[in-house]
Parts: sequence; structure tokens; C-alpha cells
Amino acid sequence: MRPLRRAIPALALVSLAALAAGCSASPGGGDAEPVEGGTLVYATGDAEPTCLDPHVGGNYPQGLISTQYLEPLFGRTAEGEIVPWLAESGEASDDGLTWDITLRDDITFTDGTPFDAEAVKANIEHLQDPDTASSTGYLAVEQVESVEVVDDTHVRLHLSTPKSAMLEVLSQQWAAMQSPAGIERGMDENCQAPIGTGPFVVESWTPQEQVTLVRNDDYVSTNPEADHDGPAHVERVEWRFIPDAATRQAALASGEVNVIDNPLPTDIASAEEQGFGHIDAPRPASANRIELNSAQAPFDDDLVREAFIRSADPNPGIETLFAGTATRSYSVLSSAEPVALSDEEAFRTDADEANALLDDAGWTERDDDGTRMKDGERLTVRFPVSTNQSTAAEQSLFEQIQANTAAVGFDVQLEPTDLSSWYGALAAHEYEAVSAPYTTVGPDVLRILYHSDGTIPAPSGYFANNAQLTDPELDALLEDALATTDADEKAELYTEAQRIIIDSHAVLPLYDQQNHFLTNGVEGVTTIHTISTPTLVNAQLTE
Amino acid sequence: MTASRGPGRVALPARWIAAKIGAAILVMWIVATLVFFALRASGDPLEAILGGPGSQAGPEAVQAAIERYALDQPLVVQYLLQLRDIATLQLGDSYARRQPVADLIGDQLPNTLLLAVLALALAWVIAVAGALVQAVSRGRWGRAVGAVMHGLEVVASVAPQFWLGAVLIMLFASSLGWLPATSASSDPAALVLPVVTLAVPIAGFLSQVSRDALADADAAPFATTARSRGSGEIRVLLRHTLRHASLPAISLSGWAFGSLLSGSVVVEVLFARPGLGRLLQEAALSRDVPVVVGAVVLVALLYVVVVIATDALELVVDPRLRRSAAALRAPDVAVGA
Repeated sequence: MRPLRRAIPALALVSLAALAAGCSASPGGGDAEPVEGGTLVYATGDAEPTCLDPHVGGNYPQGLISTQYLEPLFGRTAEGEIVPWLAESGEASDDGLTWDITLRDDITFTDGTPFDAEAVKANIEHLQDPDTASSTGYLAVEQVESVEVVDDTHVRLHLSTPKSAMLEVLSQQWAAMQSPAGIERGMDENCQAPIGTGPFVVESWTPQEQVTLVRNDDYVSTNPEADHDGPAHVERVEWRFIPDAATRQAALASGEVNVIDNPLPTDIASAEEQGFGHIDAPRPASANRIELNSAQAPFDDDLVREAFIRSADPNPGIETLFAGTATRSYSVLSSAEPVALSDEEAFRTDADEANALLDDAGWTERDDDGTRMKDGERLTVRFPVSTNQSTAAEQSLFEQIQANTAAVGFDVQLEPTDLSSWYGALAAHEYEAVSAPYTTVGPDVLRILYHSDGTIPAPSGYFANNAQLTDPELDALLEDALATTDADEKAELYTEAQRIIIDSHAVLPLYDQQNHFLTNGVEGVTTIHTISTPTLVNAQLTE
Repeated sequence: MTASRGPGRVALPARWIAAKIGAAILVMWIVATLVFFALRASGDPLEAILGGPGSQAGPEAVQAAIERYALDQPLVVQYLLQLRDIATLQLGDSYARRQPVADLIGDQLPNTLLLAVLALALAWVIAVAGALVQAVSRGRWGRAVGAVMHGLEVVASVAPQFWLGAVLIMLFASSLGWLPATSASSDPAALVLPVVTLAVPIAGFLSQVSRDALADADAAPFATTARSRGSGEIRVLLRHTLRHASLPAISLSGWAFGSLLSGSVVVEVLFARPGLGRLLQEAALSRDVPVVVGAVVLVALLYVVVVIATDALELVVDPRLRRSAAALRAPDVAVGA
């Protein structure tokens, strides 16, 4: 009996370890044949929308899900060219104050309402209605003074000021078209199930669990990414909310879900090995970057800003913390923007140069902990970090930057907070450095982020120009770029503007806004090139 | 008013009940006040109404929201309005979802209660089973079992739920594929991992407390007397010592229930399970004041009700406490002494 008694716990331990180590239920994608129909399960780690209508508020989670059931007037190619979607074409008048948009005549909303000029008018007015409380979509159509219905398929937008980015902003999911009859039901009902023209229709929404979408059998294939005519392949989509990244990954591995977003860098790195599909779709407009507040000490001094750029040295951190899944960016704009200006030399690391710059700037004294001082003031950099927006890897990267810059005498104080307090700190100018992602479409994001108008707070206290750049020359370039409809001239203006922004030393680019998706048991998942959300129009289950 | 003797015919003293209800109302008022001011001090509720923090909504939209939700009133007036709403059970509408708070909470409460009740039941089963195993194990073998059980209790009671849940998901969902990692579906199998995750730490505490109480009872004269009459160990346990030892565990169950409700925030997020905890977490992050106040007040109410219920249950089980309750003073007999 004795040996056996001792053997039992040992056996139990060994078998447990074997179970944990041995069995990794990795379903190889490989040879599985695609099938028609079935239910695709998508698991999102983004917050659950409080309203499924992206006109209301307007954030990325709404953009993600509404891509499946609402469609915008225009689309965009991978090269950044605007292409037709629900509209056939759009053209500005010579003075840039009117836009004539021609619509397709063969589209019907899923409630039977025809898609026509009246519908476009109703949508733009819905975005402008204060009761809609639109934020993102409102910005898109802010300059539209009135919408003229010319005939069923022609609509004319009258603008207060020229906006060459008009078609780009209309391509954003937050300005997508919905049935006017749906809007008329009132916000409460419309938020539960907006009615669009997309490949899927909202069937039901069980808060905290899932949104159930069913196939639109009458879908007219307008999506620029669609690879076939007619309806989608899968019959139903369960759009589930799984906030924890490890749980999402486990659900993908066990086959409970077919697509996940926001995977952990280590899981992306091992995706291929585990037989999962991987989609890397950097978001357009701006790159992820650190901005230095040039409006107050110590970063009101260009020398000090440059010293920070020279000493931050983010590359080793990006390589290790992101497990090789993120590429260092040397551009203010996303690599998805064709006019992005990349300048590696401008962001070189050189600690000796940083020390010399700080000496020149007069930060020559040292405190007991090695932090530089000037006139009794420490070289302190308050850096509020939004734990909602910055991933664990990014927060670790900031800690490395904190250590790197400490070596030349900066005292970076990382202050992790929730989103609301974070915006509060920015609104109160209680920051010297910050990393604030901004998702929109096109290089006009430069105007939103770096035009001096962006230092003036919105009624909520929000302002987008965190670098606090107020350069009249830069303002003029960005205004001209917005006004011109000549593509070459526009590209030239945006290049000059980026030159000024880079040389200001107020921006340290890190990498593209990370936007990865992993798939299992499904093929044909692709992303649209406006806000890089996935569309399931071509998706086919392979089980 | 005299407390009646004998099991089954126990009347609770009216003064005792009145004192408990008074205390409950006080607790709820304090909770509602703290939550209201904490939320208002740390962020602007306009954000929740206008599409979340960082909203760029125009001035007309901001004005419309301020008027609709009476945000132009002084803070004290808004606070009194909120108290009136709670007192009249009108919880108002969610800023972010624009739905009645009562509906939102009503939808999610059953999910969380189911989780908490199952977890508490499982914790009790584990704790009693553990106590029984130790009680019947005597001699050298018994000491060994006692040491192992003691170790397990300590590990269980300090295991963080987010860690335990993640390990269970890795083992049973990712590797073995026996159970689903998430539990949005109505599949009963989906309840297993969340319930176990919630129950294990509670079971560790309950087991420790009942074992100590059991050891005390075991050494008490009445147990010796029972043995001297020739009762077997199992009989002594079931008839005499276990009842005695259950008292501290019963009073601990009130605490455990509160701990389960707060633990549900972690477990619901981890297992993507719908429930009150997740509703509360999301509402707090988006500064949805009516939902947070409504949910917190409801959780406080539940907690208070359960604590009163466990106090009442103790009175039923232990006649010594009943006498002191009638006199509304501290018990003159210490539990387990």
C-alpha cells in the first residue's frame, strides 16, 4: 500500500502537467474547404457600443460593427484613392464651395426605403442635429451649410468654407448612410438596430453578450472590397464582446470564435505556428506618437524638445515588447497614407547630443537623483497615460522611454489613468508629454492635430492639438491643402507641412496605430481601407 | 416581547428588526452620497451623454444635453434630485444608453445572482467536505491530511480570481477544450469555470473558519460526553460539533456574498459573462452616473439584506444570541467558546 499511496499524488501531478503542456488543440487551417452559409462568430475587445448607430457619438467600436450593416458614400483603395461606394462620383466646384455628388440608382435600404438624394439629405441633417449628439460625424459635415436635392440621384452640398477632404470624410464609417425611415423611429429605437444597405442586417442586441446579424439576401455588391456579386457567404454573424485579451485568444483557439481583434503581440507572433490567419491593417491618418507640449516649460524650448527626441530611443523597446509585430515609424502620418513623409535621420538617437542640447538650454544643475535642474526647477515631464487606449506593451514602452530619458536628466512622470481623467488632465494642460491616438481618414488629420485652431477647446474641453503648435506658416499650408483640389499640389503642401511638424521636435512617431486581427476556421476576412475595419462580405467558414 | 423557545417557532424581536432596517437605510444613504460625489468630482457626466470622453460634439448638442439632464442645476440640487429618485425607486435613464436604469439592471441582475448563489453553494460544499475529511482523519494519516488541507485552504483563499480564472481558461478551454472559455451562451457548461473561479477563494476562507470552530467544538465537554456515551466520530460530527461549528461560517456567508458580488466584476469581465459587475464597470468608466449610482445602491441593498438574513439565521440556530438580541446588546456568550 505504501508505495502506491505515495505514487498517487505524484501521478496526479504528472498527468496534470502533461495535460497542460501536451494538448494544445490547434486546429490547422490548411486544407479545410470553404462552405456556404453558417454562423461566423466575431469577438471584439473594444468597448461595447452604447448605440449601434455610428452617427451618435461616433467611436471606433461603432465603426467596427457598423461596417457590417451600414455603408458610406465613398470608399478608398489601399493607395489612398477615393473610389465610389453608394455614390458614383463627387466633384467640387472651382471655388470649392459646392460639391455635386451622383448616387447609384439601384440601392435599397433593408427596410425597403430607396437610397436616393433625399436619404443623403436626411443623413447629413441627422449628423448635424444637436439631439443626435454626434461628435465624429458632426466634424465631417461641419462645413456643410445646406443639402440640395437636385433629383433622385443627384445631391449638391453647399459649404461655408472649401473642404477638399469632403469625399474622404464622407468615406468614414461615422458618416455612413442609414434609412431615413429608420432615423425617424427616434434615437432609442434606431440605436438598437440601425437600418442600412450593407451585407448584413441587425437582428437583435443582447447587451454585454452579442449583437446578432443576419445576411441581407438582397445585397447589391457595392463594397469596393467585395470579390463577388450578390449576398455574403455566411448566413449569420454573432458579434460578441469579450473584453479580456487572453480569454479572446482562448476562445479563438478552442474554436468558439472565428475572428478576434486587439490580439496580444505575443499571440500575433505565434499565430502562424498555431494555424491562425493574421490580418495587419494599420489605421489610416496619424501614426501613434508622443507629442510634447510646446506651450509651456520645459518644452517651450526647442532645444529641450530635441533633447527628448534624441534620448527617447524607442526602437529596442518596440522590437522586444511588440514581439516583432510593430514597425518603428519615422512619420507623423500612418504608413497607410500615400503622402506620409518618413525621415529616419530626424528622429535619430544620440544621448551625447541630447546632453549637449540640455547644457545649451541652461539645464546644467543636477538634483540628488541625477535629474537636471535650472533656476531651482527640476526637468520634470508629466506624461498622463490612458490605460484604455495604451496597451500593456505600449505602457511598458513608455517606461523604457522614461528610463532612457532619465539617463540624460529628464524626470518623466508616467501617470496612468482612466480615459475620463486622462482627457481631464489634457484639458487642464497638466501634461508635458502625451500619446493620443486619433483615427480619421486622409492627411487632413494634420490640420485637425497641428493647426492652431486645434488648440481651442471644444465645448467639452477637448482639443486635438496636444503639441500646441501655433505656426502661421503651418496653418496656411494646411488650409491651402484643404482648399485645393489639385492632387499634386495637395501632396506638395502636405509634404511641406510635415517637414515643419517634424522639425518642430514636438512629435515623436512610434509606430502605426496597431490594428491586428486573428482568424480561425474562416477565410476571406478583409479590411476596408477607410478606417481599416474588417468587412465580412467575402468571409467563408471552412469547417 | 419574548423570544419563543425551540426550533421552528422563532419570532424575531421587533426592536431588533427596526434597528437593522434603520442601519440599512443609513448604509444606503452613505453609499449613494459617496458614489454620486466621487463620480461627479472625477469627471464630467456630459462626456457619457455626448459619445464618451474626448467628445467633439458641437455647442448646440452640449446645450441640449445640459437641459435634458438638468446639469445646469447646482450640484446640491442634482444630488437631492438623485436621492429623491432613489427613495421613490425611480432610477432614471442611462446617459450613455438612453434606456431606463431599472431595465438595464433588471436585465443583468439575474445573471449575477445566479453566479453568486451557485458559487456560494459550491463554496459551502467544498468547505464542509474539507472539514469532514479532516474530522474523520485521525492519527498520523490524519495529521498529514490536515497539513495538506491546511495548505490548500491557504492557497485557495489567497488565489486572486483574475489569475485563477485565467489558469482555468488556459487548462480547460484552450488546452483540453472541455469547457467554453466564455459564457455568453445559455449553455450550462459555460457556468462551470466562472462559478469555480468565484467559489474557490470563498471556500478556502469558509473551510478555515469552520475547521477552527470544529476543532474547538471537538474539544468541548459536550463532544467528550457524546464520545463517552459511545457515539462514533461521524455521529459526534453530524449531531453535535458540526452544528456548533457552523455558526461562524453562517455569519461569514454574509461577508462572502458581498465578496462574491464584487468578485463578479472580475469574473464577468474575464469570462465575457453578462451581469451587474460588468454593467457597473463599463458605466463607471464612461461616467454614466445614473447607472453607477443605481447599480451600487442595489448591490449595497442586496448586501445589507443578506447580512440581516444571516444575522437572523444565527438567531434561529443559536438560542444564546436570541436572548441578547431581545435585550439589544452584545451577546454574552462568545461563539465557539
